[in-house]
Amino acid sequence: MIALVLAAMLPVLYSDAGPQTAPALRELGIRRVAVPASSLKKWQGVDGISAEAADPERAVKLITPSVNYRAYDATATQAPWINSNGWRYLRNPGARFFVEAPGPAAALAAAEANLFGGDTLVHTDSAGLKPLGEMLAFLRTLGEDKLPPLVNIGFVDDRTPVSGERLNMMIVRNLLVRPVVAPDPHLDLNVAVGDKGYPEAAWHNPDLLEHVVRGNLTDDKRLLRVFGTDVVIGRLTGDADHVRVHLLNYAGGRRSVQGVRIRVLGSWPHQTAAVAGVPDAQLMDCAVDAVATEFTIPELKTYAVIDLSR
Amino acid sequence: MVRAMDRREFLQLVSASPLLATETQASLPVYHVVTPFAPEPGAGMPGAYRGQVARVHAASCIDEKTDAVDREVVRRMLSSGMRALTGEKSERDAWARFIAPKDVVGIKVNSSGAPNMMSMPELVAGIVENVIGVGVPPENIWIYERMGDQMRMIHYDRFVPAKVNVWTAEHSRSSILGYEPRVYVDVDFFGEDDTRSCLVRLVSEKLTKIINVPNMKEHQAAGVTGCLKNISYGNFSNVARSHRLQKTNTYSFIGTLAAVEPVRSRTVLNIMDGLRGVWHAGPFSMDRRFRFYPKQIMFGSDPVAMDRLLIDVIEAKRRAEGAPSIFDRSPEHLQSAYSRDPMKNAFIREPGHVQYAAGLGLGEYDIARIKVEAIEL
Repeated sequence: MIALVLAAMLPVLYSDAGPQTAPALRELGIRRVAVPASSLKKWQGVDGISAEAADPERAVKLITPSVNYRAYDATATQAPWINSNGWRYLRNPGARFFVEAPGPAAALAAAEANLFGGDTLVHTDSAGLKPLGEMLAFLRTLGEDKLPPLVNIGFVDDRTPVSGERLNMMIVRNLLVRPVVAPDPHLDLNVAVGDKGYPEAAWHNPDLLEHVVRGNLTDDKRLLRVFGTDVVIGRLTGDADHVRVHLLNYAGGRRSVQGVRIRVLGSWPHQTAAVAGVPDAQLMDCAVDAVATEFTIPELKTYAVIDLSR
Repeated sequence: MVRAMDRREFLQLVSASPLLATETQASLPVYHVVTPFAPEPGAGMPGAYRGQVARVHAASCIDEKTDAVDREVVRRMLSSGMRALTGEKSERDAWARFIAPKDVVGIKVNSSGAPNMMSMPELVAGIVENVIGVGVPPENIWIYERMGDQMRMIHYDRFVPAKVNVWTAEHSRSSILGYEPRVYVDVDFFGEDDTRSCLVRLVSEKLTKIINVPNMKEHQAAGVTGCLKNISYGNFSNVARSHRLQKTNTYSFIGTLAAVEPVRSRTVLNIMDGLRGVWHAGPFSMDRRFRFYPKQIMFGSDPVAMDRLLIDVIEAKRRAEGAPSIFDRSPEHLQSAYSRDPMKNAFIREPGHVQYAAGLGLGEYDIARIKVEAIEL
């Protein structure tokens, strides 16, 4: 297992509207905007909102986070297809990202940026401002996550498109992976294209590769497991005394997940939950033994952060 | 995937029956059963009446044209069947063999074909009357099923006293909140990420006894869906994952789930509703053509013996209709989706699940050892 330092920063609304929209943004709790350089002067000095110049053309483009429920159409499994940017975030540490996220997807995009620790410009429509404001308010309550990410799989990334999909399949199935330039002996498992122990077909089929990687790691060694849903992706940060579990419902804004069971490797007797849109959220059926900690989140609308400690 | 146990937890590694062929054992999934519940000695399946079944037939119990059920005839069928099974002279004494006044009783119905096919409300109401007759308060009786959307179409509440509970595990589809996270079977069938099937929470937290009320149905995956299927797939979450394309793991999964504690110990009585049945394209009943009317109810504590008889009922009907046996595995009879052609099926059926369950100690499969008391009303 290895820890990497993650720069934690809140996503920011990218606005191509003028400062006349500032009162509405303030009302929605949006306190920071990124604007085209040509508009920056107009925004500077606007009460209660800080503005910075940003150029989406120079950012890494993301897709709108979502779920496609057409399980049998062009998907490798029966599970719904998750449109996640996890692999893009992990491949481009330190980059600035840009995402078009209309309506409720704006909240998902902001939460996804927080999940993967990306510096992200979120561009949305008028329907997306309220959910975005609510998600930003929630993220502010969490404070900065200074704990490093916890992963135990290294993927030697040749940065080809097919390797991007290989990373994607591992991430959406909640294998905690990070790209590496060479095998890291501190990790439980390293995967490099052409490795022995993988059938040739696995290098051409990212879905099959994910299954083989999972089998080689074994479920017992998975740092995080998610039960009861196919649409939630989780990541962990932590150190010897704490773990923070980040969970994003990619169907959020359309469907809540009614009950998600989480298993985290390690014995963590103290748990505190923060669940977006659910005040005073309580965990159910907590169980801690020498090997793992389990709990159920009764309702996951979009995003939840669970702090575990000794 | 073996997880650590504490001293309250029993890990049951389910092995194949010694009756099974070696090649079949080799291809079985690896099941890890996790439960804090210990078996209750002498309780539950196969029960005191291993290898015994009472079968009551009444030509007037249901109208084939209107599907109207004669509630009084069903009452008499219940009375005859329970007395025949137990040898008791009075109904109350017969029911008292299984249920005590202090029990909290679950009636596990089957609603997977609703509104066209389900455990008939008139029969369920008759069971409730008898359970109350033993001295169980109505509020301690729970008619239950997994899927709320199916149950809501039946309206059992209109047939039973007001305080009897009607409950479903999934009030909204796919919610896991109605399931017990401490009791589950962990198995990876096809590489699915969620490998757990958890027990209905009502069973672990409230019920002390379960009366199982399946229908007489062919099943596209399991071959038949009777006592074992209803008490297994009907009591656990996340079970549809056991089928993919033409392959189904019902052969070993049904018995494995049925044997999990406390399901095995608390299921004391099976009453199979054969007023009407399904001989093809089950468990649903979207096509009336595949419905039939056995006009019978079977009673027993041994689910294997009853399902063994069910196989014969379904096979006889399919033979009469010119349809292939449920044991047929020929590729030419496979079709990738639901079929209205009785010659075709979406899965390779696994009626061998009944014999597999016998190997787990759930009952008697050998037809020569099953004693049937047949009653005609």
